[in-house]
Amino acid sequence: MTEVELSPEVSEYTEVHRHPEPKGFIAKWIFSVDHKVIGIQYLLLALVAAFVGMGLSLLVRLRLVWPERSFGILGDLFPVGAPDGVMTPEFYLAMLTMHGTIMVFMVLTTAPQGGFGNYFLPIQIGAADMAFPRLNMLSFWTTFVSFSFLIAAFFVEGGAPMAGWTGYPPLSAVPEAAVQGIGQDLWVVSIAFFCIASLLAALNFIVTTLDLRAKGLTMMRLPLTVWTWFVTAILGLLAFGVLLAAGVLLLMDRNMGTSFFVPGGLVVSDKAIDHSGGSPILWQHLFWFFGHPEVYIAILPGMGVTSHLLATFARKQVYGYKAMVYAIAAIGILGFVVWGHHMFVSGMSPYSAFVFSVLTMCIGVPSAIKTFNWIGTLWGGQIRFTSPMLYSIGFVSLFVSGGLSGIFLGQPTIDLYFHDTYFVVAHFHLIMGVAAIFGMFAGVAFWFPKMFGRWMDEGLGKIHFWCTFIGVYAIFGPMHYLGMLPHPRRYAEFTGVDYLQTGSAGELHYFITIAAMFTITAQFLFLFNFVKSIFAGKPCTEANPWEATTLEWAIPSPPPHDNFGGKVPHIYRGSYDFSLPGAKRDFAMQCNKDEAVYGSAAGGD
Amino acid sequence: MTTTLTQTETRPAPTANGSGAFNGHPPGNGDGGRRGPFSNPALIQRYKLGVWVGVGGIVMFFAALTSAMVVRSGLSNDWQPFDVPWILFLSTAVLLVSSFTLEGARRRMIAADWSGVRLWVNGTAALGLVFLACQLLGWQALSARGLFLASNPANSFYYVLTAGHGLHLLGGLLSLGYVWLRVRAPQRWATREAVIEAAALYWHFMDVLWIYILGLLVFWR
Repeated sequence: MTEVELSPEVSEYTEVHRHPEPKGFIAKWIFSVDHKVIGIQYLLLALVAAFVGMGLSLLVRLRLVWPERSFGILGDLFPVGAPDGVMTPEFYLAMLTMHGTIMVFMVLTTAPQGGFGNYFLPIQIGAADMAFPRLNMLSFWTTFVSFSFLIAAFFVEGGAPMAGWTGYPPLSAVPEAAVQGIGQDLWVVSIAFFCIASLLAALNFIVTTLDLRAKGLTMMRLPLTVWTWFVTAILGLLAFGVLLAAGVLLLMDRNMGTSFFVPGGLVVSDKAIDHSGGSPILWQHLFWFFGHPEVYIAILPGMGVTSHLLATFARKQVYGYKAMVYAIAAIGILGFVVWGHHMFVSGMSPYSAFVFSVLTMCIGVPSAIKTFNWIGTLWGGQIRFTSPMLYSIGFVSLFVSGGLSGIFLGQPTIDLYFHDTYFVVAHFHLIMGVAAIFGMFAGVAFWFPKMFGRWMDEGLGKIHFWCTFIGVYAIFGPMHYLGMLPHPRRYAEFTGVDYLQTGSAGELHYFITIAAMFTITAQFLFLFNFVKSIFAGKPCTEANPWEATTLEWAIPSPPPHDNFGGKVPHIYRGSYDFSLPGAKRDFAMQCNKDEAVYGSAAGGD
Repeated sequence: MTTTLTQTETRPAPTANGSGAFNGHPPGNGDGGRRGPFSNPALIQRYKLGVWVGVGGIVMFFAALTSAMVVRSGLSNDWQPFDVPWILFLSTAVLLVSSFTLEGARRRMIAADWSGVRLWVNGTAALGLVFLACQLLGWQALSARGLFLASNPANSFYYVLTAGHGLHLLGGLLSLGYVWLRVRAPQRWATREAVIEAAALYWHFMDVLWIYILGLLVFWR
């Protein structure tokens, strides 16, 4: 084995054993147990899923503004859903369902946690790998199976499911309903596999964080990225089991004649359904008990990356590090007691609604602390406007915009009006969808040189940032207004309905569709930049090109097998020691001793 | 001046123990084990921590089923209580005994008597299989009364809960099978203590979980 040279930044280290490098293509790249390879596998899966999901959103927008237009290629691909290329309303609902499911599970849940978390959590804590590398591989491949099942739903008889990404019964639970055949079964099975994969991954993340930290790396010295991955894993551990249970019951309702969720006396397509006594609301409770923490599973890692990058590129310590940690924990805990705010219109008791509403408002506090501290971190900093920094600032902007509308929706009285309108679509896309994706863009741009030893094109990155940033506001900004009109969501068609044509509503829908086309086109800039840079980007030979402080920047780019080559660096300080007074440089890495930071005089010897 | 400012931030770095396994993962240990004592407390701790975390996830799975059962039983008037088959009490006894036999295996492990470990693990696995057989007989007893999965929500939950527990127990059986396979060559198995300890912890949890489920089925009618 070749000796791994640790950067001179590492003041001291301890030798531990080394693991042999895997041999052969399959062991190295396919069924790899190396957390870095698995991280990249997750990222690639999410990238593919993101483009599929984006394509579906395009179909949704096209159908909304041109309900009767024929798109020839669709007729060939989906002869049932789009005869002669004209999308049926059922097809619209199926595309909507698949868009939501793919984006939430296969993109927002996999990339931030499975992708970046897998790649950088072990390195940032000074470990050679995850605690259970083989379990890690199992998690990824189970996720892959889940993704395959989901994609298969497009091609089975009856087509993709159309019960929405929330899979509300009775529509999802009654096979007799139109377009609810095998596709819906595949959907449930896919979600079940995804739950299992996520549970195993969560277990791995938690044990790794608790058990494999380098000497000196106390919990309060962890990078905020690690904190968010850790808390996200706890959320996943406690939430996915509940969804798995609900999924099992739903599958039995569909196929084995049980009545957990299907009420009695139901008539579907002029056929009496032979079930009794089940409760669709029970599914909603189980689903949202998972579903709300899921929102934080998607966004917390983005918050971590944002904190990390704002400090790095403002050359300042994270403002209020401890407050940030407590806010992350508070968001995690509160995330489990607010699920009812998704169900205000389910006929819940006003007293329950009041409790859920108050608890929901409470989440505003830690969220505001985080936002305040991000601004505090930027305040007076020597900001370097690199593309990862732009994405991070974009994250803060989108988080605030999306979060503020959440305060409206958290009020039961207001939510009754807004719940089934575009206002909600605007809200959750800004905060959960786009903000989280900006966190991913930031992560890709920031860590790309470390992962691949090459640079992404900075100019292209900035163009992509501005196009996407303006594009998403152009898409989701007007939706708030449409929601107030109120335009109902999940409807396949608005033309021909008089009250929906008031004012500029029709034109706004056109505008949104055009903005969506523009934004989607801009994503190909990112794809081009990403793929091109992997193979032909400017080589990055430095270990620490951003002058950052955490451990991943103390090893070569790309990191060698085993990360630190059988050495474990000792940690001497917190994660964000930028601009220390009297220091030789404007940053001190976590593995720098005082002597290295201040010169020998200040070190006490 | 600079030193005083940073002292609180940076001390006492080298001695502060932020690590769990690092200390107990010293050079030459756990690397296939050609030298030194095998027993690696840090590795045991890590594997057991893994099981404990997994227990958290499993608890949430069954908590969700429990809450579904409680809600469903109170929702409509189609809930028909029934007596659980008596054989469940036999299977409970079998499972309880199996925990003691597995403790026997653990004791042999501490004494480094590997053929003894194998014997006790065999016994435990056999009891586990008997337990599963009893559970199947329980299903048969219930269906003989005409109570099938879809007959009534009370029956549905009975089948779901017992099947859910049975599948988790099957996982435990697989891990015992793995122990049984690997312990034939203990000197070539570096993680043996950790795996056995973890498998034992998981198996005991299966006991506790089963007693909870039985209580739920008997008392929440």
